[in-house]
Amino acid sequence: MKNRRICWEMIILSDFKRTLSIENVKQWFFKTWPIFPAMFYLMSFLVIVLFYLIGLSLNHPCSEINFPTFASFTELFKNEYFNSALINTTLFMILGTPLELITGLFLSFLIFRSFFMRGVIRSLFLIPLALPALVTAMLLFVLFDFPGGHINHIITGGYSWFPQVFDQPINWRGSKLFSMAIALFGKVWRDMPISMLILLAGINNIDPELFDAAKTMGASFRKRAVHVIMPLMIPSISVVLLLRSVEMWKEFIFPFVLAGRYHLLGTLIDFYYNEIGNSHMAATVSIIMVICIVFSTLILMKILELIQKLIVSR
Amino acid sequence: MLWFTGIICALVIVIGPVYLLLKYSVSDINSINTGGNPVPMWPYNPTLQAYVYLFSDSHFYQVLLNSVVISLFTIALGMILGIPASYVLGRYKLPGRKVLLLMIISVRLFPDIASVIPVVEFFIKIGMHQTYLGVILAHTLLALPYIIFIGAGAFESIPDDLEGQAIILGANRFQTFFKLLFPLAMPGLAAAAIYTFLLSWDEFIFSYFLMLGKQEIYTLTLYLNGIKYAEPQNLLAAISVCLSIPVIAFSFMVQKYMVAGISAGSVK
Amino acid sequence: MADVVIRSLFKKYGNHRVIENLNLEIHDGEFVTLLGPSGCGKTTLLRMIAGLEPIDNGELFINGKLYNHIPPQKRSLAMVFQSYALFPHMTVRKNICFGMKIKKLSKSEMDRKFEWVINLLRLKELENRLPREISGGQRQRVALARSLVLDPEVLLLDEPLSNLDAALRETASEELKRIHRQLGKTIIYVTHNQVEAMTMSERIALFRFGRIEQYDKPRVLYDSPATVFSAEFIGSPKMNFYEGEIEIRNNVAGIKTDLAFLKLDKEREKTIFSMPGRKILAGIRPQTVYYTGHLLRRRYTDTEVEILAELVENMGDRSLVVGRTEAGTLIRFIITREEKIDQDKRMKIFIDGRRIHVFDPITQLNIFR
Repeated sequence: MKNRRICWEMIILSDFKRTLSIENVKQWFFKTWPIFPAMFYLMSFLVIVLFYLIGLSLNHPCSEINFPTFASFTELFKNEYFNSALINTTLFMILGTPLELITGLFLSFLIFRSFFMRGVIRSLFLIPLALPALVTAMLLFVLFDFPGGHINHIITGGYSWFPQVFDQPINWRGSKLFSMAIALFGKVWRDMPISMLILLAGINNIDPELFDAAKTMGASFRKRAVHVIMPLMIPSISVVLLLRSVEMWKEFIFPFVLAGRYHLLGTLIDFYYNEIGNSHMAATVSIIMVICIVFSTLILMKILELIQKLIVSR
Repeated sequence: MLWFTGIICALVIVIGPVYLLLKYSVSDINSINTGGNPVPMWPYNPTLQAYVYLFSDSHFYQVLLNSVVISLFTIALGMILGIPASYVLGRYKLPGRKVLLLMIISVRLFPDIASVIPVVEFFIKIGMHQTYLGVILAHTLLALPYIIFIGAGAFESIPDDLEGQAIILGANRFQTFFKLLFPLAMPGLAAAAIYTFLLSWDEFIFSYFLMLGKQEIYTLTLYLNGIKYAEPQNLLAAISVCLSIPVIAFSFMVQKYMVAGISAGSVK
Repeated sequence: MADVVIRSLFKKYGNHRVIENLNLEIHDGEFVTLLGPSGCGKTTLLRMIAGLEPIDNGELFINGKLYNHIPPQKRSLAMVFQSYALFPHMTVRKNICFGMKIKKLSKSEMDRKFEWVINLLRLKELENRLPREISGGQRQRVALARSLVLDPEVLLLDEPLSNLDAALRETASEELKRIHRQLGKTIIYVTHNQVEAMTMSERIALFRFGRIEQYDKPRVLYDSPATVFSAEFIGSPKMNFYEGEIEIRNNVAGIKTDLAFLKLDKEREKTIFSMPGRKILAGIRPQTVYYTGHLLRRRYTDTEVEILAELVENMGDRSLVVGRTEAGTLIRFIITREEKIDQDKRMKIFIDGRRIHVFDPITQLNIFR
């Protein structure tokens, strides 16, 4: 018995020695070397990105101001373009995130149970994702044309099947509100399948016996949905909200094509870099965008945590 | 009944725009410039004029070629880097493997539009701005996390016993990889390749920042963006259709992997 | 062909000790079964012999040569996995020839060996099929063929029959025995099925918690189990166990239990005569209990017990009876087909004292070994 204990101690000791030995490191390297080229590639770009972002933003085109300086930041915060872009993007995020959730919920509730041709319909629901974002944006660009686009013809009563709502066609892209709304519409339309799939995965993880149990207890469908499905879907709903809010902050293509004159943070970067040629400002906006994403994610996580607690305690 | 109406509504919302896109691409000029009359829901004289024009334009061929070349090289580079990495992450039960995979995939949460300025500045410095290589490198950067993620899943799904058996039958590490693991991971790796193609084919942000101003190397997306204010709408739509067809076709081919990836909350 | 010797082997995963101080010797050409419940370390041991798991401490010799650090590719042994591990993208022929191709055998030799093995294992006409196109039994034979063509010194089999249905299992096990007889290879066979182990192997190593509980011929394992665990694991239906203590009545030593005062054979009676009062765990196999209705072969060592037949379970050629004594103690025993017993019938049974197994309840060891 004692002999055995000594033996185990020896093994543990030799284990420890082995972990530290050069031989072991060599072996470890021999096993894992194929991972290094890819890691090196990703890491070096990560370093480049961080290095340039910080380097550029803590600098200022004015030659008198030396590195490091917050001049770019202070200048930016005084800039009305930036302030309006920041507010626009915040609104874009606050409105867009729940919209993406609602559309996703709508689609997933439509097809979560099995029915004839469910597979085909689910595939059709993926079309928005399969269409390149730029194409979707272009299509909306054409549809919301002024004065002769499809939408304008519809609302001015050009077709017999739709009542006349306005007398005059609307200059969609000329209005800040409308151009943002169209960009938001495009974004939500394109992302519907993503939210739908995450939520469907959440629904499918729920034990089907739970539905049956609720059924046998005589609960109507609505009660079942509220009391059984919703609480169990909180995790997937959280995932949708978190991922989508990040996407909203990052959005570029739709506002770029559809709201050229009115900036979000993403298009502001393009404006500073490609139109004004000020890389420092562009990098500063980029950094601020990243900071916004981090903060909004943290806040959202906190809120979701609170909601979860509330539901559990109820 | 309510549910049925819902399905119909959803289908209209989802398919409607695709229909309109196709409709525009086959519209004759009178169905677009209607002179104040409403745009018809189906063109007066459907025509393939826009496509004919497009395919007689040599610049369009150049653009098409650029897109294909860039995506093929992106696939090649991405696979060369990604397959070995996903092999290690999928086959070896290394400590921290899951965390590493999660970190790799969450690189993609970093906004493209925020990382594009540093990459462009860096490429200007080393003379790769407005070159094929620069765009290929950037697209590889975007695709690599997905390749590793999908590839690691493909390698992981191969039962350990098969590898053990190959080793006992005398195969060394390379023989095991090339004769056994690689062929068996092939479907997943093919999906990763297609995914890379899709990503490169309709990528816009990096292409735009890296190629702006150099028409000769424009890809389809940039070409489309460049003519949005100028060209007649049927041509815009025709280009859009050309851009979309391979994307839609391939998307449905890799649908299984895409659905799995998105459901796990990982792939965009 | 080779002998396998394992000396004080240790293995742990993290803090979990899988194998502890294990010693095992397997002779040249022997068919040895590693038997035990799942998670007892028997498959781990097999994988360590194959070289798929590193050895923490201890020595593995094959043919007198230390094998600890020889990579699995260079060990001249073959393994058949529980899942058969057929390469799904290769035909039967390619699967079988995989090892030979890697070893770079000449084409003619490869063909010769392939012909030999498909004749041996009745695999003709399957050679161009894919693994998913053949049946479970055929897959098992392909896996075996793939191992045999390499002419390994030791053949390791990890539960090769567990994925087959009962009928197929019998023919497959007969085939394995035939091949062992024909080729005379050393075979190490892992299973949790005691019937397979009893019928096929020359020796059985019974595993428990990463240690060998008993290593003996099947017959010995059955007739004189070394420990309570051995007695419990081997044999079906399970052995009856009764706690009791040694008592001397009318100048005869026996074991006083809740069931009855159990008598033993003369020889053992002598031994226990010197230890009255000692606590004992007595084990009685259901097969060693007789029923009066049948042939009466009462001996002086038989213990008579009166019971009520509470439950009679028909098992085809025989029946399992659960009886209860007046005091409420249960006993399970087997009767033959001819001996019909009605439920709820009072009856007398006799326990063969020569075949009562006597264990120490603390050390769990057989007192007479």
